[in-house]
Amino acid sequence: MQSQTEQESAPSSSFKTKKLDFTSLLDIIIGAVIFFAGWQAVFWLHLYPSFLFPSPLMVLERLIFLAKSPNPKFNLGASTLITMERLAAGFTISVGLGTGVGMVMVHFRRFGRTMNSFCVGLQSYPSIAWVPFAILIVGLNNYGIVFVVVISSVFSMMVSTYSSLRNIPPIYVKAARNMGEGGVSLFKNVMLPASFPSLITGIRQTWSFAWHALIGAEILMATIGLGALLELGADFAEMNQIIAAMVIIFIIGFAVDRVLFSMVEDRVRTKRGLNQIPT
Amino acid sequence: MGEELTEERSNTIPIFPGTRLITNRILELRDLRKTHVRHNGNQKDDLLVLDDISFDVDEGEFVTIIGPSGCGKSTLLNIIAGMESYQGGDVVVSGHRVSTLGPDIVMIFQEDSLFPWLTVLENVAFGLRNKGMPKEERKKTAMKYIELVQLEQFAHSYMHQLSGGMKQRVAIARGLAMNPRILLMDEPFGALDYRTREILQGQIQEIHEKTKKTILFVTHDVREAVSLGDRVILLSHRPSKIKREYAIDLPRPRSAEDPQLHGLINEIQRQLKEEVKFAEPNGTGISA
Repeated sequence: MQSQTEQESAPSSSFKTKKLDFTSLLDIIIGAVIFFAGWQAVFWLHLYPSFLFPSPLMVLERLIFLAKSPNPKFNLGASTLITMERLAAGFTISVGLGTGVGMVMVHFRRFGRTMNSFCVGLQSYPSIAWVPFAILIVGLNNYGIVFVVVISSVFSMMVSTYSSLRNIPPIYVKAARNMGEGGVSLFKNVMLPASFPSLITGIRQTWSFAWHALIGAEILMATIGLGALLELGADFAEMNQIIAAMVIIFIIGFAVDRVLFSMVEDRVRTKRGLNQIPT
Repeated sequence: MGEELTEERSNTIPIFPGTRLITNRILELRDLRKTHVRHNGNQKDDLLVLDDISFDVDEGEFVTIIGPSGCGKSTLLNIIAGMESYQGGDVVVSGHRVSTLGPDIVMIFQEDSLFPWLTVLENVAFGLRNKGMPKEERKKTAMKYIELVQLEQFAHSYMHQLSGGMKQRVAIARGLAMNPRILLMDEPFGALDYRTREILQGQIQEIHEKTKKTILFVTHDVREAVSLGDRVILLSHRPSKIKREYAIDLPRPRSAEDPQLHGLINEIQRQLKEEVKFAEPNGTGISA
Protein backbone atom coordinates (compact mmCIF):
# COMPACT_ATOMS: atom_id res chain seq x y z
CA MET A 1 0.00 0.00 0.00
CA GLN A 2 0.98 3.62 -0.35
CA SER A 3 1.44 4.38 3.30
CA GLN A 4 5.20 4.63 3.49
CA THR A 5 5.39 8.40 3.10
CA GLU A 6 2.92 8.89 5.87
CA GLN A 7 4.75 6.68 8.30
CA GLU A 8 7.95 8.54 7.71
CA SER A 9 6.34 11.83 8.55
CA ALA A 10 5.01 10.51 11.87
CA PRO A 11 6.27 12.37 14.92
CA SER A 12 9.31 10.78 16.47
CA SER A 13 8.56 8.66 19.47
CA SER A 14 11.60 9.68 21.45
CA PHE A 15 10.91 12.03 24.31
CA LYS A 16 12.76 12.49 27.55
CA THR A 17 11.36 11.69 30.94
CA LYS A 18 12.26 14.00 33.79
CA LYS A 19 15.14 12.61 35.77
CA LEU A 20 17.24 13.83 38.65
CA ASP A 21 20.24 14.77 36.55
CA PHE A 22 23.56 16.21 37.70
CA THR A 23 22.66 19.92 37.37
CA SER A 24 19.44 19.68 39.37
CA LEU A 25 21.28 17.69 42.04
CA LEU A 26 23.92 20.41 42.15
CA ASP A 27 21.19 23.06 42.50
CA ILE A 28 19.74 21.19 45.47
CA ILE A 29 23.17 20.97 47.13
CA ILE A 30 23.87 24.68 46.56
CA GLY A 31 20.43 25.56 47.95
CA ALA A 32 20.99 23.44 51.06
CA VAL A 33 24.46 24.91 51.68
CA ILE A 34 23.10 28.48 51.45
CA PHE A 35 20.23 27.60 53.77
CA PHE A 36 22.43 26.05 56.47
CA ALA A 37 25.07 28.78 56.15
CA GLY A 38 22.37 31.44 56.62
CA TRP A 39 21.00 29.60 59.65
CA GLN A 40 24.47 29.31 61.16
CA ALA A 41 25.15 33.02 60.48
CA VAL A 42 21.96 34.08 62.29
CA PHE A 43 22.99 31.82 65.19
CA TRP A 44 26.37 33.56 65.39
CA LEU A 45 24.66 36.97 65.55
CA HIS A 46 23.30 35.89 68.98
CA LEU A 47 20.00 37.69 68.49
CA TYR A 48 18.39 35.01 70.66
CA PRO A 49 19.87 32.86 73.42
CA SER A 50 21.09 29.53 72.06
CA PHE A 51 18.34 27.46 73.76
CA LEU A 52 15.77 29.50 71.80
CA PHE A 53 17.66 29.55 68.53
CA PRO A 54 19.98 26.52 68.28
CA SER A 55 22.57 26.00 65.57
CA PRO A 56 22.18 23.30 62.90
CA LEU A 57 24.74 21.21 64.75
CA MET A 58 22.76 21.35 68.01
CA VAL A 59 19.65 20.18 66.16
CA LEU A 60 21.64 17.36 64.62
CA GLU A 61 22.88 16.34 68.07
CA ARG A 62 19.29 16.29 69.33
CA LEU A 63 18.23 14.22 66.32
CA ILE A 64 20.90 11.65 67.16
CA PHE A 65 19.85 11.72 70.80
CA LEU A 66 16.20 11.19 69.84
CA ALA A 67 17.13 8.40 67.47
CA LYS A 68 18.95 6.56 70.28
CA SER A 69 16.46 7.34 73.06
CA PRO A 70 15.07 4.21 74.80
CA ASN A 71 11.96 6.12 75.90
CA PRO A 72 9.29 5.54 73.19
CA LYS A 73 7.87 9.01 73.84
CA PHE A 74 11.13 10.50 72.66
CA ASN A 75 12.39 7.80 70.32
CA LEU A 76 12.46 9.14 66.81
CA GLY A 77 11.86 5.77 65.13
CA ALA A 78 8.91 4.87 67.33
CA SER A 79 7.38 8.34 66.94
CA THR A 80 7.77 8.33 63.18
CA LEU A 81 6.37 4.82 62.90
CA ILE A 82 3.22 5.55 64.86
CA THR A 83 2.66 8.80 62.94
CA MET A 84 3.01 6.94 59.64
CA GLU A 85 0.62 4.24 60.84
CA ARG A 86 -2.03 6.82 61.67
CA LEU A 87 -1.43 8.52 58.35
CA ALA A 88 -1.69 5.26 56.41
CA ALA A 89 -4.94 4.33 58.17
CA GLY A 90 -6.53 7.77 57.75
CA PHE A 91 -5.37 8.29 54.18
CA THR A 92 -6.49 4.83 53.04
CA ILE A 93 -9.93 5.30 54.55
CA SER A 94 -10.22 8.77 52.99
CA VAL A 95 -9.22 7.64 49.51
CA GLY A 96 -11.46 4.54 49.63
CA LEU A 97 -14.49 6.27 51.10
CA GLY A 98 -14.00 9.44 49.04
CA THR A 99 -13.74 7.52 45.77
CA GLY A 100 -16.80 5.45 46.64
CA VAL A 101 -18.97 8.42 47.55
CA GLY A 102 -17.61 10.37 44.56
CA MET A 103 -18.76 7.58 42.24
CA VAL A 104 -22.23 7.58 43.82
CA MET A 105 -22.30 11.38 43.36
CA VAL A 106 -21.66 10.97 39.62
CA HIS A 107 -24.38 8.36 39.35
CA PHE A 108 -27.09 10.31 41.16
CA ARG A 109 -27.05 13.79 39.68
CA ARG A 110 -29.03 15.68 42.31
CA PHE A 111 -27.23 14.00 45.20
CA GLY A 112 -23.95 14.81 43.46
CA ARG A 113 -24.74 18.50 43.03
CA THR A 114 -25.89 18.93 46.63
CA MET A 115 -23.04 16.87 48.07
CA ASN A 116 -20.52 18.79 45.96
CA SER A 117 -21.39 22.18 47.44
CA PHE A 118 -21.56 20.61 50.90
CA CYS A 119 -18.08 19.10 50.43
CA VAL A 120 -16.58 22.36 49.20
CA GLY A 121 -17.85 24.01 52.39
CA LEU A 122 -16.48 21.26 54.60
CA GLN A 123 -13.16 21.26 52.78
CA SER A 124 -12.39 24.79 53.92
CA TYR A 125 -13.35 23.97 57.51
CA PRO A 126 -10.11 24.04 59.61
CA SER A 127 -9.04 20.51 60.52
CA ILE A 128 -7.98 21.45 64.05
CA ALA A 129 -11.52 22.63 64.70
CA TRP A 130 -12.64 18.99 64.49
CA VAL A 131 -10.47 18.06 67.49
CA PRO A 132 -12.92 18.90 70.34
CA PHE A 133 -15.69 17.11 68.46
CA ALA A 134 -13.45 14.06 67.93
CA ILE A 135 -12.28 13.95 71.56
CA LEU A 136 -15.83 13.78 72.88
CA ILE A 137 -17.43 11.53 70.31
CA VAL A 138 -14.54 9.15 69.50
CA GLY A 139 -12.15 9.62 72.38
CA LEU A 140 -8.70 10.91 73.16
CA ASN A 141 -6.96 8.00 71.45
CA ASN A 142 -5.66 6.76 68.09
CA TYR A 143 -9.18 6.40 66.71
CA GLY A 144 -9.87 10.01 67.56
CA ILE A 145 -6.75 11.11 65.68
CA VAL A 146 -7.59 8.96 62.66
CA PHE A 147 -11.10 10.37 62.76
CA VAL A 148 -9.73 13.92 62.50
CA VAL A 149 -7.45 12.86 59.60
CA VAL A 150 -10.31 11.22 57.70
CA ILE A 151 -12.87 13.96 58.24
CA SER A 152 -10.34 16.60 57.16
CA SER A 153 -9.38 14.90 53.93
CA VAL A 154 -12.27 12.72 52.76
CA PHE A 155 -14.30 15.59 51.31
CA SER A 156 -11.44 16.65 49.12
CA MET A 157 -11.31 13.11 47.71
CA MET A 158 -15.08 13.12 47.08
CA VAL A 159 -14.93 16.41 45.21
CA SER A 160 -11.96 15.39 43.08
CA THR A 161 -13.42 11.97 42.22
CA TYR A 162 -16.68 13.65 41.27
CA SER A 163 -15.06 16.26 39.05
CA SER A 164 -12.51 13.84 37.55
CA LEU A 165 -15.20 11.42 36.46
CA ARG A 166 -17.44 14.16 35.13
CA ASN A 167 -14.65 15.64 33.04
CA ILE A 168 -13.86 12.49 31.07
CA PRO A 169 -14.09 13.25 27.34
CA PRO A 170 -17.53 11.84 26.39
CA ILE A 171 -16.08 10.34 23.20
CA TYR A 172 -14.23 7.65 25.21
CA VAL A 173 -17.41 6.47 26.89
CA LYS A 174 -19.29 6.66 23.60
CA ALA A 175 -16.68 4.60 21.78
CA ALA A 176 -16.49 2.03 24.60
CA ARG A 177 -20.26 1.62 24.70
CA ASN A 178 -20.23 1.21 20.96
CA MET A 179 -17.87 -1.74 21.49
CA GLY A 180 -20.30 -3.36 23.91
CA GLU A 181 -18.77 -2.08 27.11
CA GLY A 182 -21.08 -1.29 30.04
CA GLY A 183 -21.62 -1.36 33.78
CA VAL A 184 -18.74 -2.19 36.10
CA SER A 185 -16.49 -3.12 33.21
CA LEU A 186 -17.02 0.30 31.57
CA PHE A 187 -16.14 1.94 34.85
CA LYS A 188 -13.05 -0.17 35.48
CA ASN A 189 -11.66 -0.24 31.95
CA VAL A 190 -12.57 3.18 30.63
CA MET A 191 -13.80 5.72 33.15
CA LEU A 192 -11.20 5.04 35.82
CA PRO A 193 -8.14 5.07 33.53
CA ALA A 194 -9.55 8.03 31.59
CA SER A 195 -9.88 10.07 34.77
CA PHE A 196 -6.61 8.88 36.30
CA PRO A 197 -4.36 11.90 35.55
CA SER A 198 -6.83 14.20 37.24
CA LEU A 199 -7.62 11.68 39.98
CA ILE A 200 -3.96 11.45 40.98
CA THR A 201 -3.93 15.23 41.53
CA GLY A 202 -6.93 14.77 43.81
CA ILE A 203 -5.22 11.97 45.72
CA ARG A 204 -2.19 14.19 46.16
CA GLN A 205 -4.33 16.99 47.54
CA THR A 206 -6.12 14.54 49.85
CA TRP A 207 -2.77 13.36 51.17
CA SER A 208 -1.78 16.95 51.84
CA PHE A 209 -5.00 17.64 53.79
CA ALA A 210 -4.53 14.39 55.73
CA TRP A 211 -0.91 15.18 56.60
CA HIS A 212 -1.74 18.70 57.84
CA ALA A 213 -4.62 17.41 59.95
CA LEU A 214 -2.55 14.55 61.39
CA ILE A 215 0.26 16.70 62.78
CA GLY A 216 -2.25 19.17 64.21
CA ALA A 217 -4.28 16.42 65.83
CA GLU A 218 -1.12 14.80 67.23
CA ILE A 219 -0.06 18.04 68.91
CA LEU A 220 -3.39 18.22 70.69
CA MET A 221 -4.35 14.57 71.12
CA ALA A 222 -1.29 12.29 71.09
CA THR A 223 1.27 11.22 73.66
CA ILE A 224 3.51 9.52 71.08
CA GLY A 225 4.17 10.70 67.53
CA LEU A 226 5.92 13.46 65.63
CA GLY A 227 3.26 15.96 66.66
CA ALA A 228 3.66 14.89 70.28
CA LEU A 229 7.41 15.37 69.94
CA LEU A 230 6.77 19.00 68.92
CA GLU A 231 4.42 19.50 71.84
CA LEU A 232 6.89 17.93 74.31
CA GLY A 233 9.59 20.22 73.00
CA ALA A 234 7.37 23.24 73.72
CA ASP A 235 6.50 21.90 77.18
CA PHE A 236 10.17 21.54 78.14
CA ALA A 237 11.38 24.60 76.19
CA GLU A 238 13.58 22.35 74.02
CA MET A 239 13.83 24.30 70.81
CA ASN A 240 16.38 21.91 69.32
CA GLN A 241 13.83 19.09 69.71
CA ILE A 242 11.11 21.20 68.11
CA ILE A 243 13.29 21.97 65.13
CA ALA A 244 14.44 18.33 64.94
CA ALA A 245 10.80 17.19 64.72
CA MET A 246 10.07 19.93 62.16
CA VAL A 247 12.92 18.66 60.02
CA ILE A 248 11.58 15.10 60.09
CA ILE A 249 8.05 16.32 59.27
CA PHE A 250 9.44 18.34 56.39
CA ILE A 251 11.43 15.38 55.06
CA ILE A 252 8.42 13.03 55.14
CA GLY A 253 6.20 15.59 53.42
CA PHE A 254 8.83 16.25 50.82
CA ALA A 255 9.49 12.57 50.17
CA VAL A 256 5.85 11.58 49.79
CA ASP A 257 4.79 14.53 47.66
CA ARG A 258 7.86 15.29 45.59
CA VAL A 259 9.16 11.77 45.18
CA LEU A 260 6.27 9.29 45.43
CA PHE A 261 3.33 11.21 43.94
CA SER A 262 5.46 13.19 41.58
CA MET A 263 6.91 10.00 40.12
CA VAL A 264 3.51 8.35 39.64
CA GLU A 265 2.06 11.49 38.09
CA ASP A 266 5.05 11.96 35.84
CA ARG A 267 4.92 8.40 34.62
CA VAL A 268 1.21 8.63 33.82
CA ARG A 269 1.60 11.94 32.05
CA THR A 270 4.56 10.78 30.00
CA LYS A 271 2.76 7.61 28.89
CA ARG A 272 -0.13 9.70 27.64
CA GLY A 273 2.01 12.34 26.01
CA LEU A 274 0.99 15.12 28.38
CA ASN A 275 4.57 15.94 29.35
CA GLN A 276 5.87 17.10 26.02
CA ILE A 277 5.45 20.82 26.52
CA PRO A 278 8.59 22.14 28.21
CA THR A 279 7.72 23.97 31.39
CA MET B 1 -23.92 -7.88 25.94
CA GLY B 2 -20.75 -9.86 26.09
CA GLU B 3 -22.29 -13.28 25.55
CA GLU B 4 -21.73 -15.44 22.51
CA LEU B 5 -22.90 -13.76 19.38
CA THR B 6 -24.68 -16.40 17.42
CA GLU B 7 -26.18 -15.98 13.99
CA GLU B 8 -29.23 -14.31 15.54
CA ARG B 9 -28.46 -11.05 17.32
CA SER B 10 -29.12 -11.36 21.01
CA ASN B 11 -30.10 -7.73 21.36
CA THR B 12 -32.69 -7.46 18.64
CA ILE B 13 -36.36 -8.24 18.22
CA PRO B 14 -37.38 -10.07 15.05
CA ILE B 15 -40.05 -8.21 13.13
CA PHE B 16 -39.66 -9.18 9.50
CA PRO B 17 -38.80 -12.85 9.76
CA GLY B 18 -37.74 -14.36 6.52
CA THR B 19 -36.38 -11.19 5.00
CA ARG B 20 -32.90 -12.62 4.85
CA LEU B 21 -34.10 -15.64 2.90
CA ILE B 22 -35.09 -13.43 0.02
CA THR B 23 -32.18 -10.99 -0.24
CA ASN B 24 -28.79 -10.43 1.30
CA ARG B 25 -30.08 -7.10 2.54
CA ILE B 26 -28.35 -6.18 5.76
CA LEU B 27 -29.85 -2.82 6.67
CA GLU B 28 -33.28 -1.40 5.99
CA LEU B 29 -34.47 2.02 7.04
CA ARG B 30 -38.22 2.51 6.86
CA ASP B 31 -39.70 6.02 7.14
CA LEU B 32 -37.22 7.04 9.80
CA ARG B 33 -38.21 10.23 11.63
CA LYS B 34 -36.16 12.04 14.20
CA THR B 35 -36.92 15.23 16.11
CA HIS B 36 -34.61 17.16 18.39
CA VAL B 37 -36.05 19.11 21.29
CA ARG B 38 -34.92 22.68 20.84
CA HIS B 39 -34.66 25.00 23.82
CA ASN B 40 -35.56 28.52 22.88
CA GLY B 41 -35.30 30.66 25.98
CA ASN B 42 -37.90 29.04 28.22
CA GLN B 43 -39.85 27.66 25.28
CA LYS B 44 -39.35 24.17 24.00
CA ASP B 45 -40.20 23.09 20.53
CA ASP B 46 -39.52 20.11 18.36
CA LEU B 47 -37.21 20.43 15.43
CA LEU B 48 -37.64 17.85 12.70
CA VAL B 49 -34.20 16.58 11.71
CA LEU B 50 -34.82 13.43 9.70
CA ASP B 51 -38.02 13.23 7.70
CA ASP B 52 -39.10 9.82 6.39
CA ILE B 53 -35.71 8.47 5.48
CA SER B 54 -35.93 5.08 3.75
CA PHE B 55 -33.16 3.15 2.10
CA ASP B 56 -31.66 -0.33 1.99
CA VAL B 57 -28.09 -1.50 2.14
CA ASP B 58 -26.98 -4.89 0.83
CA GLU B 59 -24.33 -7.00 2.46
CA GLY B 60 -20.83 -5.96 1.39
CA GLU B 61 -21.97 -2.64 -0.06
CA PHE B 62 -20.00 0.57 0.43
CA VAL B 63 -22.52 3.38 0.75
CA THR B 64 -21.57 7.00 1.22
CA ILE B 65 -23.97 9.58 2.61
CA ILE B 66 -23.49 13.23 1.75
CA GLY B 67 -25.43 16.33 2.62
CA PRO B 68 -25.08 19.97 3.63
CA SER B 69 -23.69 20.56 7.10
CA GLY B 70 -26.29 20.40 9.84
CA CYS B 71 -28.53 18.08 7.84
CA GLY B 72 -28.42 15.24 10.36
CA LYS B 73 -25.94 12.87 8.72
CA SER B 74 -24.24 12.08 12.01
CA THR B 75 -27.61 11.74 13.74
CA LEU B 76 -28.55 9.14 11.14
CA LEU B 77 -25.44 7.09 11.91
CA ASN B 78 -25.97 7.44 15.65
CA ILE B 79 -29.48 6.06 15.23
CA ILE B 80 -28.25 3.08 13.21
CA ALA B 81 -25.60 2.44 15.86
CA GLY B 82 -28.30 2.46 18.54
CA MET B 83 -26.80 5.48 20.27
CA GLU B 84 -29.72 7.83 19.67
CA SER B 85 -33.46 7.38 19.82
CA TYR B 86 -35.85 8.02 16.96
CA GLN B 87 -39.48 9.03 16.87
CA GLY B 88 -40.90 7.09 13.96
CA GLY B 89 -40.18 4.34 11.50
CA ASP B 90 -37.91 1.34 11.76
CA VAL B 91 -34.23 0.53 11.60
CA VAL B 92 -33.88 -3.12 10.66
CA VAL B 93 -30.58 -4.97 10.66
CA SER B 94 -30.64 -8.44 9.09
CA GLY B 95 -34.39 -8.61 9.61
CA HIS B 96 -34.23 -7.50 13.25
CA ARG B 97 -35.11 -4.14 14.69
CA VAL B 98 -32.23 -2.34 16.36
CA SER B 99 -33.14 -1.91 20.00
CA THR B 100 -29.95 -1.47 21.99
CA LEU B 101 -26.31 -0.82 21.50
CA GLY B 102 -24.43 -3.82 20.29
CA PRO B 103 -20.98 -4.65 19.03
CA ASP B 104 -22.51 -5.81 15.72
CA ILE B 105 -22.57 -2.28 14.43
CA VAL B 106 -19.38 -0.41 15.09
CA MET B 107 -18.78 3.29 14.58
CA ILE B 108 -15.57 5.05 13.66
CA PHE B 109 -15.65 8.66 14.78
CA GLN B 110 -14.11 11.79 13.35
CA GLU B 111 -12.79 12.78 16.76
CA ASP B 112 -9.92 10.92 18.34
CA SER B 113 -11.69 8.15 20.25
CA LEU B 114 -8.66 5.96 20.94
CA PHE B 115 -7.71 5.38 24.56
CA PRO B 116 -4.45 7.21 25.38
CA TRP B 117 -3.66 4.88 28.31
CA LEU B 118 -3.45 1.83 26.04
CA THR B 119 -1.01 0.84 23.33
CA VAL B 120 -2.09 0.40 19.71
CA LEU B 121 -2.38 -3.36 20.27
CA GLU B 122 -4.39 -2.96 23.46
CA ASN B 123 -6.68 -0.43 21.79
CA VAL B 124 -7.43 -2.73 18.87
CA ALA B 125 -7.97 -5.71 21.20
CA PHE B 126 -10.16 -3.67 23.56
CA GLY B 127 -13.61 -4.65 22.31
CA LEU B 128 -12.73 -8.32 21.82
CA ARG B 129 -12.89 -9.04 25.54
CA ASN B 130 -16.63 -8.51 25.39
CA LYS B 131 -16.83 -11.26 22.79
CA GLY B 132 -15.48 -13.75 25.30
CA MET B 133 -12.27 -14.33 23.37
CA PRO B 134 -9.28 -15.74 25.32
CA LYS B 135 -6.31 -13.44 25.75
CA GLU B 136 -3.95 -15.02 23.23
CA GLU B 137 -6.61 -15.07 20.54
CA ARG B 138 -7.49 -11.43 21.22
CA LYS B 139 -3.88 -10.51 20.71
CA LYS B 140 -3.63 -12.53 17.50
CA THR B 141 -6.83 -11.09 16.07
CA ALA B 142 -5.80 -7.54 16.97
CA MET B 143 -2.40 -8.06 15.36
CA LYS B 144 -4.03 -9.30 12.17
CA TYR B 145 -5.97 -6.05 11.81
CA ILE B 146 -2.99 -3.92 12.78
CA GLU B 147 -1.14 -5.58 9.93
CA LEU B 148 -4.08 -4.86 7.64
CA VAL B 149 -3.67 -1.14 8.29
CA GLN B 150 0.13 -1.56 8.14
CA LEU B 151 0.97 -0.37 11.62
CA GLU B 152 2.70 -3.52 12.95
CA GLN B 153 5.85 -1.61 13.84
CA PHE B 154 3.74 0.71 16.03
CA ALA B 155 1.83 -2.06 17.84
CA HIS B 156 3.37 -1.16 21.18
CA SER B 157 3.29 2.62 20.76
CA TYR B 158 1.00 4.93 22.66
CA MET B 159 -1.46 7.24 20.92
CA HIS B 160 0.50 10.46 21.34
CA GLN B 161 3.37 8.90 19.44
CA LEU B 162 1.23 8.55 16.29
CA SER B 163 0.24 11.08 13.64
CA GLY B 164 -3.39 11.94 12.95
CA GLY B 165 -3.59 9.62 9.95
CA MET B 166 -2.03 6.74 11.84
CA LYS B 167 -4.52 7.23 14.68
CA GLN B 168 -7.43 6.97 12.27
CA ARG B 169 -5.92 3.76 10.87
CA VAL B 170 -5.78 2.37 14.41
CA ALA B 171 -9.43 3.36 14.82
CA ILE B 172 -10.28 1.52 11.60
CA ALA B 173 -8.36 -1.56 12.79
CA ARG B 174 -10.20 -1.40 16.12
CA GLY B 175 -13.54 -1.23 14.34
CA LEU B 176 -12.72 -4.07 11.95
CA ALA B 177 -11.36 -6.29 14.75
CA MET B 178 -14.83 -6.27 16.26
CA ASN B 179 -15.94 -8.02 13.08
CA PRO B 180 -19.14 -5.98 12.91
CA ARG B 181 -21.93 -6.63 10.44
CA ILE B 182 -21.92 -2.97 9.54
CA LEU B 183 -19.09 -0.50 9.88
CA LEU B 184 -20.28 3.07 10.32
CA MET B 185 -17.82 5.84 9.56
CA ASP B 186 -18.68 9.38 10.61
CA GLU B 187 -16.43 11.69 8.58
CA PRO B 188 -13.42 9.65 9.70
CA PHE B 189 -10.94 11.59 7.56
CA GLY B 190 -12.52 15.00 8.17
CA ALA B 191 -9.80 16.22 10.51
CA LEU B 192 -6.87 15.10 8.34
CA ASP B 193 -4.82 16.99 5.80
CA TYR B 194 -5.47 16.56 2.10
CA ARG B 195 -2.56 14.25 1.34
CA THR B 196 -3.17 11.90 4.29
CA ARG B 197 -6.85 11.81 3.43
CA GLU B 198 -6.08 10.69 -0.11
CA ILE B 199 -3.85 7.89 1.16
CA LEU B 200 -6.47 6.70 3.60
CA GLN B 201 -9.17 6.86 0.90
CA GLY B 202 -7.05 4.43 -1.09
CA GLN B 203 -6.50 2.20 1.91
CA ILE B 204 -10.14 2.02 2.95
CA GLN B 205 -11.03 0.88 -0.58
CA GLU B 206 -8.40 -1.86 -0.42
CA ILE B 207 -9.64 -2.91 3.02
CA HIS B 208 -13.18 -3.03 1.68
CA GLU B 209 -12.05 -5.21 -1.22
CA LYS B 210 -10.25 -7.57 1.17
CA THR B 211 -12.82 -7.82 3.95
CA LYS B 212 -16.07 -7.23 1.99
CA LYS B 213 -17.46 -5.34 4.99
CA THR B 214 -20.69 -3.41 4.70
CA ILE B 215 -19.65 0.21 5.16
CA LEU B 216 -21.82 3.27 5.68
CA PHE B 217 -19.64 6.32 5.28
CA VAL B 218 -20.76 9.87 6.06
CA THR B 219 -18.87 12.77 4.54
CA HIS B 220 -19.37 16.35 3.43
CA ASP B 221 -16.70 16.02 0.75
CA VAL B 222 -18.25 15.29 -2.64
CA ARG B 223 -15.03 13.93 -4.15
CA GLU B 224 -14.59 11.56 -1.23
CA ALA B 225 -18.20 10.38 -1.43
CA VAL B 226 -17.92 9.68 -5.16
CA SER B 227 -14.55 7.97 -5.10
CA LEU B 228 -15.45 5.64 -2.22
CA GLY B 229 -19.10 4.69 -2.62
CA ASP B 230 -20.78 1.97 -4.63
CA ARG B 231 -23.72 4.21 -4.02
CA VAL B 232 -23.97 7.84 -2.95
CA ILE B 233 -27.01 8.98 -1.00
CA LEU B 234 -27.57 12.72 -1.11
CA LEU B 235 -29.53 14.20 1.79
CA SER B 236 -31.38 17.49 1.56
CA HIS B 237 -31.17 20.33 4.04
CA ARG B 238 -33.05 19.94 7.33
CA PRO B 239 -35.58 18.40 7.68
CA SER B 240 -33.53 15.88 5.75
CA LYS B 241 -35.05 13.73 3.09
CA ILE B 242 -33.23 11.63 0.57
CA LYS B 243 -32.80 13.96 -2.38
CA ARG B 244 -31.03 11.69 -4.83
CA GLU B 245 -29.25 8.38 -5.01
CA TYR B 246 -26.41 7.68 -7.41
CA ALA B 247 -25.07 4.23 -8.19
CA ILE B 248 -21.41 4.21 -9.24
CA ASP B 249 -20.26 1.17 -11.12
CA LEU B 250 -16.60 1.82 -11.78
CA PRO B 251 -13.67 -0.48 -10.98
CA ARG B 252 -11.63 0.10 -7.80
CA PRO B 253 -9.39 1.53 -6.58
CA ARG B 254 -10.77 4.78 -7.84
CA SER B 255 -9.72 8.32 -7.23
CA ALA B 256 -11.64 11.54 -7.54
CA GLU B 257 -9.31 12.44 -10.42
CA ASP B 258 -10.97 9.80 -12.61
CA PRO B 259 -12.42 11.74 -15.60
CA GLN B 260 -15.46 9.49 -15.61
CA LEU B 261 -16.40 10.90 -12.21
CA HIS B 262 -16.14 14.58 -13.14
CA GLY B 263 -19.68 14.88 -14.44
CA LEU B 264 -21.06 13.25 -11.32
CA ILE B 265 -18.99 15.42 -8.98
CA ASN B 266 -20.25 18.57 -10.71
CA GLU B 267 -23.82 17.33 -10.62
CA ILE B 268 -23.70 16.54 -6.87
CA GLN B 269 -21.95 19.81 -6.12
CA ARG B 270 -24.71 21.69 -7.96
CA GLN B 271 -27.36 19.81 -5.98
CA LEU B 272 -25.59 20.59 -2.71
CA LYS B 273 -25.32 24.28 -3.54
CA GLU B 274 -29.04 24.36 -4.10
CA GLU B 275 -29.52 22.89 -0.61
CA VAL B 276 -27.22 25.39 1.04
CA LYS B 277 -29.34 28.17 -0.47
CA PHE B 278 -32.33 26.85 1.48
CA ALA B 279 -30.40 26.89 4.71
CA GLU B 280 -31.44 29.58 7.13
CA PRO B 281 -28.82 32.32 7.36
CA ASN B 282 -28.44 31.78 11.11
CA GLY B 283 -28.50 28.11 11.88
CA THR B 284 -29.99 26.54 14.97
CA GLY B 285 -26.77 25.16 16.33
CA ILE B 286 -27.59 21.49 15.74
CA SER B 287 -24.42 19.88 14.56
CA ALA B 288 -24.23 17.65 11.52
